Amino acid sequence: MRAGLALRLAWRDWRSGELGLLLAALLVAVGSVTAVSLLVDRLQQALLDESAEFLAADRYIGSTRAIPDAFREQALALGLEVADTMSFPSMVFAGDQHNQLVSVKAVGPGYPLRGTLIVAERPFGPGRPTEELPAPGEVWLDSRLFPALNVGLGDTVEVGLAKLEVSRVLVSEPDRGGSMWDLGPRLLMNLADVPATEVVQPGSRLSYRLLLKGDDDALEALRASLPLEPNYFWRSIRDSSQSIGAALERAESFLLLGGLLAVLLAGVAVALSAHRYARRHYDHVAILKTLGATPRQILTAFLVLLVAVGAVAVLLGQVVGTLLHLGIVAALGSVVPVELPWPTARPFLLGAATGLICALAFALPPLLHLQRISPMRVIRRDLGTPPPSQIVSYGAAAAGSLALLIWYSGSLWLTLWTLATSTAVLVGFAVLALLLLRGGRALGMQAGSGWRLALAALQRRRNENVAQILIFGLAIMLLLILVLLRTALLDEWQSQVPEDAPNYFVMNVTPDQVEPLSALLGEVTDSRGTLYPMVRGRIIAINGTDAATWEERRGRLDEDGGGSRLSGERNLTWMSELPPDNRIVAGRWWDAAVGSERALVSLEEEYAEERGLDVGDVLTFDVAGRIVDAEVASLRRLNWESMRPNFFIIFSPGTLEDFPATYTTSFHLPNEQKPFLNRLLSTFPTVTVIEIEAILRQVQSIIARVTQAVELVLALVIAAGCLVLIASIQASRDARMHEHALVRTLGGSRRLIAGSLAAEFALLGLFAGVVAVVGAEVTVAVLQREVFELGVAVHPWLWLIGPLLGAVLILTVGLLGTRRLVSTPPMLVLRGL
Amino acid sequence: MVPTAEGQLTILEGIDLEINAGESVAVVGASGSGKTTLLGILAGLDLPTRGTVTLVGRELTSLDEEERARVRGEQVGFVFQTFQLLGSLTALENVMLPAELHGEPDAREQAETLLEKVGLGARMGHYPRQLSGGEQQRVAIARAFASRPNVLFADEPTGNLDTVTGAHIIDLLFELNAEYATTLVLVTHDERLAARCQRVVVIDAGRIGG
Repeated sequence: MRAGLALRLAWRDWRSGELGLLLAALLVAVGSVTAVSLLVDRLQQALLDESAEFLAADRYIGSTRAIPDAFREQALALGLEVADTMSFPSMVFAGDQHNQLVSVKAVGPGYPLRGTLIVAERPFGPGRPTEELPAPGEVWLDSRLFPALNVGLGDTVEVGLAKLEVSRVLVSEPDRGGSMWDLGPRLLMNLADVPATEVVQPGSRLSYRLLLKGDDDALEALRASLPLEPNYFWRSIRDSSQSIGAALERAESFLLLGGLLAVLLAGVAVALSAHRYARRHYDHVAILKTLGATPRQILTAFLVLLVAVGAVAVLLGQVVGTLLHLGIVAALGSVVPVELPWPTARPFLLGAATGLICALAFALPPLLHLQRISPMRVIRRDLGTPPPSQIVSYGAAAAGSLALLIWYSGSLWLTLWTLATSTAVLVGFAVLALLLLRGGRALGMQAGSGWRLALAALQRRRNENVAQILIFGLAIMLLLILVLLRTALLDEWQSQVPEDAPNYFVMNVTPDQVEPLSALLGEVTDSRGTLYPMVRGRIIAINGTDAATWEERRGRLDEDGGGSRLSGERNLTWMSELPPDNRIVAGRWWDAAVGSERALVSLEEEYAEERGLDVGDVLTFDVAGRIVDAEVASLRRLNWESMRPNFFIIFSPGTLEDFPATYTTSFHLPNEQKPFLNRLLSTFPTVTVIEIEAILRQVQSIIARVTQAVELVLALVIAAGCLVLIASIQASRDARMHEHALVRTLGGSRRLIAGSLAAEFALLGLFAGVVAVVGAEVTVAVLQREVFELGVAVHPWLWLIGPLLGAVLILTVGLLGTRRLVSTPPMLVLRGL
Repeated sequence: MVPTAEGQLTILEGIDLEINAGESVAVVGASGSGKTTLLGILAGLDLPTRGTVTLVGRELTSLDEEERARVRGEQVGFVFQTFQLLGSLTALENVMLPAELHGEPDAREQAETLLEKVGLGARMGHYPRQLSGGEQQRVAIARAFASRPNVLFADEPTGNLDTVTGAHIIDLLFELNAEYATTLVLVTHDERLAARCQRVVVIDAGRIGG
């Protein structure tokens, strides 16, 4: 058959409304996927942009050496924006009386590439953003430096040999959270003044950064082209902050899961309507065959038809998806405070591919089957038509889903989990659905006529209804899963950073200050009074092999270059009790009662893993010039979000006590008690107080953004779920119309039919709800445990809400979908079929 | 022969039937006697488990479905008890279909002529559901002759029509049959219809009787 005729036939089919449902289902598939992925794409970009503010850049190259000009030139050649920063600890002097250890950050033009500097008019005053930088000859100081140095705006301070004027109060800079262990409050100065300070001497602790901003391809090209190792390291948001990286990854997992569900739902809708379309064309094909259409012509005709419908669906779907997306963004205009970046091409490609794959995997098998319809059907209507090959149908649908899911999520693992659990759940569903239907029939014997008719209808189309319960159940289950996971994730996120999380760190506390400081903190804050001792030291050998050789044997530094070096100086501490929030994952914590011959250490899990250390290894430390051997007794997992002092290396008591130690602690100070800081700093001028509230606020703002994204995706998935319900009701519409016309012909009233329809949908929804709750509980338990690494819980409220939701949802959608069924005169129905 | 739960069920057996070009033959018999199956096999809609069928010089039983469809398209026209019009097409489009499947350029003109001939010139744009039973069957007859078939198979063409309408349809069928010099094979319960054929073949329990 020539394509022309095939298109003509397709057009005639379309005109008669036969193709409407298939097109609508494909449209839903393409539209919802386009809308979801547009949203995910843009929100992900927004999240990344926002997170990039933590670096004040998209990436940076860091080192303890000056960044070579060649790097800068290469970056500029690739079209990237660059800015230099340099930080170092330094004593700052104000007059003869006052001095303070500060963390100096010297910044060059262009800083910050992401985010903004916040300044205030007076110390501890409200902040406002600024686009300026300290001019040469000026410095901006942290609020708490003003009382500590006893200076005001316009006064002069000395940094190294340079005299600089205090011109602003610095509230925060975007990359402040980059290293929590920066010592001392911040002093921001211009990079041009650094030579005058003469602080750059051999042995000074300098940290250079070249901040980079630009598109991912250029950034990756730069990374690949530079000789970074071993002296320079490359950083992105993901590896710069553990807790934010983890939150981002969870958010992405969740958004993608939402996307996957929309795809699956759309696929179900397409399959349903394609099967209905094919079923309605058995006679059509048989007639064409008697008129001389060959199987090949029939195949061509339906392929052309599918391609035509698919193309229309893709084009319209992308328009609809974009409009839907814009509508949602507009509706949420006030909720989404940032301007969303322009989307990439990916959502549109995804939408188109979804249309294509849905058409091929879900709609093609039943249509392919049409060429095998026997022409004998025209004279023998009763001639059973063999159903489409189930292996082909399900195989194609499974392969199509898999391809879509993998491509969509970019994660084989998440995909396989989703598929494995849904398959298991589907099998369980089928059994449960059959049991419910059988139970319903027994009850129905005693019911009134409307209910009896409904239960009879449910029982009569048992296979079909099991399938419908499966689909309804699946849709409701997916919704419940999303709601449950969302609740669980939000709870988890919120509990990660509790309201009263410490917002200040105190460092550089001398042993004789420990008691008075504790007492002072106890007066005003909820400080638990624990001050942790800290001694600086570094690992020089492992099991007798010196550290450099050990690293060489391991064959590599960490990908990032510097991060994993063994020999760097670390804060060491000792304690007898395992800190709260820490969990032993290998070996065991030392028992306070048992004194050990040899010193023991406990290492942070990832720290040990990256350096190839394990329980039983003997580490040799250089602590203030003395050699200390210690055996690794255990590995710990830390809770970084606790905002309490965390240590990579903890010694057992009895080893480090003789070394000169400083102490550290953290405390929570409510906003209105901020002036307490003045009292603290004037009583203990030598201690360093670090404000981490800014970091906390940033983490919380990311969590809030993630939450919104999750809610938006949830709304879209719910919409897609409802459309599947409609498609599913449409699929059983013909049979229903015929039956009801018969009942009407036999004298059944319109009310009886409406009542029995309502009862039928309500029961169907109720059963589907029960099935969905069972499925959701199981799936969520597995997902929480295995994917999100959260705790498992049962949800009693779900058992009430689920079936109720099912009944109400399906009743509503069902009655809307069958409105015409009740009002159509029976004669018209009987003649039309 | 058809496999059933009770074993092999034989529907037709020992059929030896030759129909000459231009002949009109009525196949009659009780319900379930196998006459519809015989029609399907003669027309190449179905294949016998054993034996051969030759239609206009082509041995249908040695052809695959692709080739049989081609033979049907070129040689055969059908009229059915239940009309079997495509509900999504207008009367005109239904009649155009065979010529369109052949790729003939003047499908529309041919179809219009035929519909005029069966007296439906004024209802070409109507859909089957907007036509009465008799009108639908007239569209089906027009469609059957649209491919200028050598052989016309009719399965109970008046089975769904009242007596008066049925008589009109019979007249129309034989008129066109004479005009197009078509071989006619029809299955019927209608004795008046059978009587107008040159030969009557009686099927009884799957065999030709008499």
